[in-house]
Amino acid sequence: MKKITNRAFSVLLIAALVIVGMTVYVLRYVDHGRDWALYFSRANSGSAGELIDRNGISLAAFSGGESRFAGDALTRTANYHVTGDYWGRSSTGLLSSYWSEMQGFDLLTGTTQAESSILRLSIDSKLNTEAYEALGADRKGAVLLCDYTTGELLCMVSGPSVDPADADAVPGEGAYINRCLSSVFVPGSVFKLITAAAAIEQIPDIESRSFYCEGKTSIAGVDIICSGEHYTQTFEQALSNSCNVAFAQIAVLLGQDTMVRYVTEYGFLDKHDLDGIPTAAGSYPTEFVGDPELGWSGIGQSTDMLNPYALLRFVSAVGNGGVLCEPRLLLDDEEPEVSRYMPAETAERLKQMMNYNVVSHYGGEERFPGLRLCAKTGTAELGDGTSHAWFAGFLDDEKHPYAFVVLVERGGGGLTVAGELANTLLQAAVRR
Amino acid sequence: MTGRRNFTGKGARCTENYLEFAKAMLAASKFALVLLSAAVLIRCLRSLLSEKLEPEIWAYLRVGRETLPVSHWENTVGQSRSADLRVDRPGIGRVHAVLTRSDRGLWRIFDVFSKGGVWVNGVKVGEQGAPLEHGDVVNLAGTNARFLDTTPEKRGNLAHARTSAGHSISPALTLVDLTLFQLCLLLQHVLSARREELSAIALGFLTLILLQWCCYVAMRLINRSGFEVETLAFYLTSLGMSVAASSTPEDLYKQILLTAAAVALFLFFGWWLRNLRRTALMRVPMALAALALLAVNTAFSEAVFGARNWLEFGGYSFQPSELVKVAYIYVGAATMDRLYRRKNLFGFIAFSAVCVIALALIGDFGTALIFFISFLVISFMRSGSIATVFLAVTGAGLAGFLAVSVRPYIAQRFASWGHVWEDVYDTGYQQTRAMSAAASGGLFGKGAGSGWLKDIFAANTDMVFAMVCEELGLFVGVCMVLAVLVLAFFAVRSARHGRSAYYAIAACAAMSMQLTQLALNVFGSMDILPFTGVTFPFVSRGGSSLLSCWLLMAFIKGADNRRDASFAVRPADQDSGRRPEPEDRKAGRA
Repeated sequence: MKKITNRAFSVLLIAALVIVGMTVYVLRYVDHGRDWALYFSRANSGSAGELIDRNGISLAAFSGGESRFAGDALTRTANYHVTGDYWGRSSTGLLSSYWSEMQGFDLLTGTTQAESSILRLSIDSKLNTEAYEALGADRKGAVLLCDYTTGELLCMVSGPSVDPADADAVPGEGAYINRCLSSVFVPGSVFKLITAAAAIEQIPDIESRSFYCEGKTSIAGVDIICSGEHYTQTFEQALSNSCNVAFAQIAVLLGQDTMVRYVTEYGFLDKHDLDGIPTAAGSYPTEFVGDPELGWSGIGQSTDMLNPYALLRFVSAVGNGGVLCEPRLLLDDEEPEVSRYMPAETAERLKQMMNYNVVSHYGGEERFPGLRLCAKTGTAELGDGTSHAWFAGFLDDEKHPYAFVVLVERGGGGLTVAGELANTLLQAAVRR
Repeated sequence: MTGRRNFTGKGARCTENYLEFAKAMLAASKFALVLLSAAVLIRCLRSLLSEKLEPEIWAYLRVGRETLPVSHWENTVGQSRSADLRVDRPGIGRVHAVLTRSDRGLWRIFDVFSKGGVWVNGVKVGEQGAPLEHGDVVNLAGTNARFLDTTPEKRGNLAHARTSAGHSISPALTLVDLTLFQLCLLLQHVLSARREELSAIALGFLTLILLQWCCYVAMRLINRSGFEVETLAFYLTSLGMSVAASSTPEDLYKQILLTAAAVALFLFFGWWLRNLRRTALMRVPMALAALALLAVNTAFSEAVFGARNWLEFGGYSFQPSELVKVAYIYVGAATMDRLYRRKNLFGFIAFSAVCVIALALIGDFGTALIFFISFLVISFMRSGSIATVFLAVTGAGLAGFLAVSVRPYIAQRFASWGHVWEDVYDTGYQQTRAMSAAASGGLFGKGAGSGWLKDIFAANTDMVFAMVCEELGLFVGVCMVLAVLVLAFFAVRSARHGRSAYYAIAACAAMSMQLTQLALNVFGSMDILPFTGVTFPFVSRGGSSLLSCWLLMAFIKGADNRRDASFAVRPADQDSGRRPEPEDRKAGRA
């Protein structure tokens, strides 16, 4: 018997394994319990929460195990990249990024219902809908609009989008990516705004210089091609002509170190944080490149990549006299986060130049009726015959202090495509 | 308060007061559940640990001046340190002879292939052994020993000197704790359940309470005081009742009936095990019945979600493999005389192989694995041969590899193991939801009936650990696992005093089965092991599973021979049936 009962300890071996397994589970629970719990219990738990836009329109709500979105499909689709969904398909939507605030978790009590689980957004869902309609379901692109005096983001649309409430909807390519925040694009001529800002501060006689363009220029034996022949032009005219020759020469004049310093200071190489939602960092050649490449980089080619949200920060700072009100998505009682982005004089001069662009070259009142617009176009050639259409700027209008960025991916000409869309957006924003 | 109850009339203030009150009650009951769970477990564990090692004494063997007490019904005699009766004289083998007692009180001695031989009163003992009576002289390879039997009166006196079970920790008080635990569970359900389900739920818990107290009173009436195993089983059954009340309140009456039937069968089976001869005689019929059941299952069962382990039976479906589990242990355990006379395990290995292959054919790989682990434990305890175990593991490894390559859905489970969060809508569907729900309960749970996992398929069976964690909290979830662990420790401890190797092996095999099942259930749903879809002992919903769990408890009761502890063990001063006829004795002696 003794021999047999001694072998009974083989049962204790299994018991020991069970204890080890339970320990592993408890440690994992401590480590990941929060992620696990919030993954599904969002809509399943008894807690309630709601996302409402600046005009009190409900965009998404859940309570008692039920979850819903806005009533009509267009509103749902247009606002999808703001709300996200209950299943975390879009990682940047508020429903994904704000769970921990709308629904709490701690190891002791598990999931808990937050006291205030209603999130008021700065977004105007109707403006989003209009912007989405203007972009069209077939085009890829990003539309951003904010109030540069408060930082409140009124419009954020990314196309293609998807209806989160329609289980059978077939999402377009990249529909779960928010192009406003999570993507970077070749900037093309909108980048000249940054080169111009650096030149205003770093080249004392920039205003008295003249730039000669005969369609191309040679830097260290490499040709830089321009879109036209602009002949003799001032700095201001060069920006409105969007002259590649002039801005490539300016970039070389500034030198790579200065260019890198400005791109960095303006936050184009950083990841930003829109109320807890991370954005993508852009890029600029920071390792040494020769003058020809530097020239190309000064006009938004080379390895330049730009995040639309980062550009929105730039134009809204220019519009606000060099002071940046950090954009935000949530309407709360907190003061806007304000910082000096660039000297007031630089901002003022850029504003004049951007207004001159619109008045002298972009069709002024005819194309943008009733708008005191300051802007810059961009037609970023991608080398395959297509180009990204950019249009970025702001309204110099105390009643409508809006900064905006419009991008149509492989959309064609900056002014004709993105400019047209921007006009629709701004007219709608001013009308509201 | 996330209750589903509708309030009508009465006015808002009244409702508000009620809600406040309900909230406070819920919070209090959550803490109470944890405290009472801990109390039940600690009391059972202490009761088991505080028992002293006091062997029973059945006879004596006097060798020279030394008198060796014979403390089991099956004893090895030899030079080995692990021999029960150690006789260290020249010529005696390590294990020289086996001395057994039947439950009628008849002793026999067997020569275990010794070199020196065994004689009783000068007559050589053959392979079939020879009967032994009080005063007989046993010659072990030249060493004489005198065998001294005990009279029932003497055994009664000896037994009286031992500590009785439940001496230090009162089982009644533990049962009071358990009853309070059940009332707290009931309270939580009352706060969350729909009005039309209230009566069934209340009936369920009250039936449980009634059942356990009836069992207790019945034990006291037959002068038994060991109630730890029943208490722990009732604790787990209460959790199972709670799970059933949350997930399938419409089927609760069936669950109540099955629980009562399970307890009744447990009592019957325990009583059956009292008689070792009867038990051993039924091993072959039991094996045949098990094989027949598996054959019927393989031939006629219906496929339900991959595995064809269900049989429809007049509107009731049941899982034959659950009952085969009990039969398997019943057949697999063996008395020691058999073990030493027939060293090979061939019959048992063949039986095991047929069972496991049949289960694999049915597609019930989880259960096949449980059988296999139990096979390892039984064959190790029977033979002590690491080589056999190693060979079996290698063979099973190959078979498993074959199964994985033949059945794609098993391979898929292995593939998704550890990566369940990468595919929460398909291969990781159940595990991710189980983990999320389990974590959202925190340490104290959302309250019985207030979880969301219960609406997901198989929540109350394969993912039951998550369901308990979600509704009752991680503390209760851990207590649920600990309860099975305490039962396992108890089985191992009881085995040491066991009268017969049969009871020791059966109790240990039963608990290794339960532990394996627990591990596969809990760790499978929590992505620590591949998801196999087996039930948690007692707690998972399912009638056949509950029946088999209670039946397995009878094996543990059979091994528990603390004084006056178990109804499944005869008191030391009672022998079964009639004393043998004089002719039998003569025939035996001839």
